[in-house]
Amino acid sequence: MNGDFLALLPKTPFPQLGAPLQPPPPLEATTVFAFHCAEGVIIAGDHRATAGNIVFSDKTEKILELDSHCLMAIAGVPATAFEMARTLQTSFEFYRRSQLQAMSLPAKIRALSQLLRNNLSATIQGFGIVAPIFAGVETSEPNAIPQIYFYDPLGAQFEAANYAGSGSGSGSIKAVLSFLEKWGSPRPAEMSVEQACNLANRLLITAAEFDTATGGVHPENKLFATIKLVSRSGIRSLAVDEQVDFWKNGAK
Amino acid sequence: MTEEPYRWLEAISNRREYIREQLKGGTPVFALSRAEGVLLLGVGLGHSKVFEIYDRHGLAALGHPVDIERLRQAAIEAAHMEGFNRSSKDVTLRRLIGFALSPMLKQSFEQIFSPPFIVESVWAELGENEAQDVLVRVHYDGNHLYERGGVMVAHGDTKKESEAGAWLRQQIKPEHTLGQCAGICLVAWQAIADDKPFAEVAVPERPALSITGKTLEAALLDRKSGGAVRYRELDLK
Repeated sequence: MNGDFLALLPKTPFPQLGAPLQPPPPLEATTVFAFHCAEGVIIAGDHRATAGNIVFSDKTEKILELDSHCLMAIAGVPATAFEMARTLQTSFEFYRRSQLQAMSLPAKIRALSQLLRNNLSATIQGFGIVAPIFAGVETSEPNAIPQIYFYDPLGAQFEAANYAGSGSGSGSIKAVLSFLEKWGSPRPAEMSVEQACNLANRLLITAAEFDTATGGVHPENKLFATIKLVSRSGIRSLAVDEQVDFWKNGAK
Repeated sequence: MTEEPYRWLEAISNRREYIREQLKGGTPVFALSRAEGVLLLGVGLGHSKVFEIYDRHGLAALGHPVDIERLRQAAIEAAHMEGFNRSSKDVTLRRLIGFALSPMLKQSFEQIFSPPFIVESVWAELGENEAQDVLVRVHYDGNHLYERGGVMVAHGDTKKESEAGAWLRQQIKPEHTLGQCAGICLVAWQAIADDKPFAEVAVPERPALSITGKTLEAALLDRKSGGAVRYRELDLK
């Protein structure tokens, strides 16, 4: 009756394996990031999934739309991350339909935090660690500005003023974005969609130089990143053809 | 008293009479399968007659608001659990009504010491084309009737309901726009409200798209829109 889809699900927490507790391994296998541009928030990710030093797939979608106005970028263990995204998708739609109003943005942000906390035992045992990025816009406020949040694997949420990154290749990307925020011209927050799209692809190519677990972006072969724009009017996926044109035009 | 069979039959009969009496104040709701999608229409107070259930599913109902709400919540829960555990394609009206809603309605109706659902409803599922659309008329006792495509009306008075359905099938043509279809449905709505025989009802050249003092609730399960969620509310003014 209260629109809480999670309350309908059976309680099946991850079993405790009884293994000695160890610090979780460093995040692997992904680079996802988000930054503000002039028209909203750009959120992007590579396509590579790895298992150790094996490239598992170069066609993985890591930017998952949760509803028409918010999405999450996943980093960490795919099984858990995909399930979290699926749970949130159903949960948000369930709330909207049953309560006849959309869930507020703070509630959506908190919902992801709760799922991460519910995953605590898998996180501290190291086999179910997820550190996602969330981007969305409040639908009930006509002048709302899209927001970026990033999470630690235990569920703490942090609002990103300018940008956020997660995954093994995100270090170099965050360094470049930090540099551009201070000395860039234009700064990422001032960029058009075309400029921001090209920046996102260039950032991923740069990250792939230093991180074997980041890959699948090769403009010369028309292989581009998954890039989406979150704005007041909703989510727009930048199609490959569009990215090809932007890349050719070379907007800086 | 219910241990005696004829008393039980009498109790059921009284219950049916009571529900019909309660439904007398209700006004009809409509579902039309069109090339654009499935149009759901009712006249109420805003979010009181026409509802979204799932990606391709909608409901138009009349009756006691609390019972409409109970039925709606039950359908939304069942649809979302199925969609989550399997996939959205596995959520079908046939399964939703056959396995979740109708048994619940029937049980509630026949449990004579518990309150029944005072609801008459039309359920719609959007298909790839008009022939694949599914419209289901579900009664308060769980009884239900399927129709592929076409026109469906729900009202507390079964005679008026079937007259309105027959009249609408005659009047609504494939070339009509959604607005014209809605206008013709409102002519039928007004005829039922005025207790006017349908033989005397004619469609004006430009049927009005409003009823004084009431809110027109219209929604389309949109066949042409992209994305998973096909339900959208229509502003026909």
